[in-house]
Amino acid sequence: MPDLRPYLVLGLALGGVFAVSGVGMVVLYRATGVLNLAYGAIGALGSLIAWSMINVFLLPDWLSYVVAVVFGGVASLLYGLLVGPPLARRDPLVKAVGTLGFLLILLGIMDWVWTDKAHALILPTTQWGFQLGEVTVNVTQILAVGLAVATTAVTEVFLRVTRLGTAMRALANDREITATLGVPVRRVEAAAWLGSGLIAGATGLLLSTLVGLDAVTLTFLVIAALSAALVARLQSLVVTLVAGFVIGILQSLVTPFSLVSSYRSITPFVVAIVALLWFARRRPVVLS
Amino acid sequence: MGASSVPSHLRAPGRSPSRGGTQSRTIARGAGVVAFLGLVLLGVPALRNAYWELVLLTSAIYTIVALSLALLLGRVGMISLGQVALLAIGGWIALRLGFATSMPFLLVVLATGLITSVLGTLIGLPALRLSGLHLALITLMFAAAITLLLEATQFPNGGSGFLGHSVLTTAPSTLRRPGFASSDAAYYRLVVVVTALMFLLTIVHIRSRPGRAWAAIRQSEAAALAAGVNVTLYKLWALALASFMTGVAGGLLAASGGGLTVYQFPTQNSIILLAVTLMGGIVSLWGPVVAGLLFEALPALLRMWGLPSDLLTILFGIGVLQVQLTAAAGLASQVPKDLANLVRLASTLIRGRTGHQEHLG
Amino acid sequence: MIEISNLTVRFGGVTPIDGVSLTFPGGTCGLIGPNGAGKTTLFNVLSGFVSPASGSVLAFGDDLLAMPHYRRARWGLRRTFQTERAIEALSVFDNVAMVHEHTGGRRSRRRQEVLEAIELVGLEVSPDELVGTLGTRERRLVEIARAVVGEPRVVLLDEPAAGLPEEETEHLSHMIRRIPEERGALVILVEHDMSLVSACCELTSVLDFGHLIASGPTPEVLRNEHVRRAYLGTEEEL
Repeated sequence: MPDLRPYLVLGLALGGVFAVSGVGMVVLYRATGVLNLAYGAIGALGSLIAWSMINVFLLPDWLSYVVAVVFGGVASLLYGLLVGPPLARRDPLVKAVGTLGFLLILLGIMDWVWTDKAHALILPTTQWGFQLGEVTVNVTQILAVGLAVATTAVTEVFLRVTRLGTAMRALANDREITATLGVPVRRVEAAAWLGSGLIAGATGLLLSTLVGLDAVTLTFLVIAALSAALVARLQSLVVTLVAGFVIGILQSLVTPFSLVSSYRSITPFVVAIVALLWFARRRPVVLS
Repeated sequence: MGASSVPSHLRAPGRSPSRGGTQSRTIARGAGVVAFLGLVLLGVPALRNAYWELVLLTSAIYTIVALSLALLLGRVGMISLGQVALLAIGGWIALRLGFATSMPFLLVVLATGLITSVLGTLIGLPALRLSGLHLALITLMFAAAITLLLEATQFPNGGSGFLGHSVLTTAPSTLRRPGFASSDAAYYRLVVVVTALMFLLTIVHIRSRPGRAWAAIRQSEAAALAAGVNVTLYKLWALALASFMTGVAGGLLAASGGGLTVYQFPTQNSIILLAVTLMGGIVSLWGPVVAGLLFEALPALLRMWGLPSDLLTILFGIGVLQVQLTAAAGLASQVPKDLANLVRLASTLIRGRTGHQEHLG
Repeated sequence: MIEISNLTVRFGGVTPIDGVSLTFPGGTCGLIGPNGAGKTTLFNVLSGFVSPASGSVLAFGDDLLAMPHYRRARWGLRRTFQTERAIEALSVFDNVAMVHEHTGGRRSRRRQEVLEAIELVGLEVSPDELVGTLGTRERRLVEIARAVVGEPRVVLLDEPAAGLPEEETEHLSHMIRRIPEERGALVILVEHDMSLVSACCELTSVLDFGHLIASGPTPEVLRNEHVRRAYLGTEEEL
């Protein structure tokens, strides 16, 4: 039995990022009905921009990271402002397919400007680490876990306590009625797009460090985060958090077992498929 | 039951005056199809350009895949992002059969279609309860999972074992073309003929009982059930047909170029296929033809001109957004309408010039 | 004849139908009650979209609840919906023919029986017209044609007059009365338009809050004070 502890740590870190992405997606879905499949692409583009700022324009590292996060928020907000309102009344599938269009646009830009040359973006926090027993843990990994827990906690509190948060919960419940209550629906939605976009930018940086800065990989890693969100039925933030960690740990723990190791990246997809089928098992005939 | 009490205007549908116009339209449409097929089958090889023969035959193959997606989405209302994954599976099966048996090419392709059909139906069976967003997500998951699986298993290349892949040999994963169609030009013609057959198969389905049942299911499952339609059965039938066609396409693809690699089936292709199918249109049967050309021929054109094909990815993304925002019927439906409007506008303008007091527009 | 015994339906914390026992003997039977009384739920139980928690439904001696939904149509159960659902992408003929071919209708008689059904409902458009081009009234009639084609045994009509002007009611009542006569089917009519119910239905049953509160000859039922109270809500205690 190989020593699983290093893999546990890796899994926790990866799971943490899945969890943060999942939380970002769930909050946006609850407030706007849009499942943003371009989530990973936004983060990837932000990280590539940061890479260029650091390596091509030789700008300070911290500035580039800030730009990456802010870019995530701005790109997401722009999409939400342009495409959100016209599609507001359509069903979730139409909205999600729209974000697939957004994904293609971003992917095209990334492939065109940065091509598929190898890029690397390692957050400086990776250089700092310490020993936890016999396992080495670096600060980036701690950041991932910490960010996941913190984001979930802060968002939960925000949704319950603040006016904006309550407005978002009302929107998730019923858009039409919320509008008649005088809630500035557009502004609340814009806030949701901005917030989830900032999270996307941050997770892009973390993922680039943990997994590598490759546009396609990062774009489709969103599907793993989606799995966590689906286990939570796109509703509960806490379940998304836990599911994210579990998926990350499961995937990582499979690594040292050579027989199944090369298949380990399928883990999130299998989880998602099982979750979708499980929750559909007693679906009645749709009468609408 | 008064059998003779049927009023005269109902007694012979299909022969009332309004039908005359549709009959001539059908003849015109048929003539258009024949002309197009003639151009494609005879005109292209006459150019003697091997590069374009390969591009256009791949285009035709992806037209079949787009047709399967248009069938599921446009006719039954089931979205599937997993057709490219099924194409890869079809290619895998065709190669495995090709290396393991000495079946003639056409039989391999047919067998591939049938096996893929069974697989697609089995895989889709548990997902039948899903619809809309959840169906899109589960098929996307499936597509991503297959891509990853293929990276691990690779495509058969004559090696031993179930996976049929040997890392020791550098043999390409190709299926041997049939003797009567081994040249690029001949194989191109074969692919076009098979594509036309797939369209024929689809049309036969749409014009008869399953097509009517699918139209009902697409609009309202409850109404379909109340009409006695066994919704589950007809959904499975659609899945089986779509998977069969995609499997056949996979077989054709296996013999088309230098060998199948997993790099030909990245997850984003599943999304791009959806994009071009939506842009081409899921209602008109010309839509998949446009989709295939967008998917394969347009990038080839750009490569020839030295432009980056990533621009197309961006274009397709914009295309998807445009279709969603305007609920457009796609290029295949829209362009003829636009052309007709243009012709009408032009003729009104011309008449206006010659002194008639016509209202413009 | 349809015998419903002790039917109870529960979902999501509500009990839309509570221990209802009811018999529809034949001809045209009315089913009325205020909104939310459970009428459409009863139709959904009969057509198989809703499973009851308990109770039985015997239709002409056959256990209806034992059949999966799409089989009931083949058995002879037909229904229309509150929001009409004629298939827009198909022609009038194909809409009606589809029901015929999925309920065991013989191919040799298909054209004739479809045209008869279209004539029965008084639809005066060409059968090749696409339903998508028709107005609400015509679409409703297409739906009813689908419900009467071939050999129906039970026809459930769910508020066929909803949203239609007064003049239509007369045409509808003529047509509905023809169904048991010419097709031999039992018709159950859910309606809010009392004049239509009086004109077509010999017998009427009344539901309120999932309970059966009256059942009998239509004129008597409509005069019944409990029924009046259920619809209008008076101050008096029961």
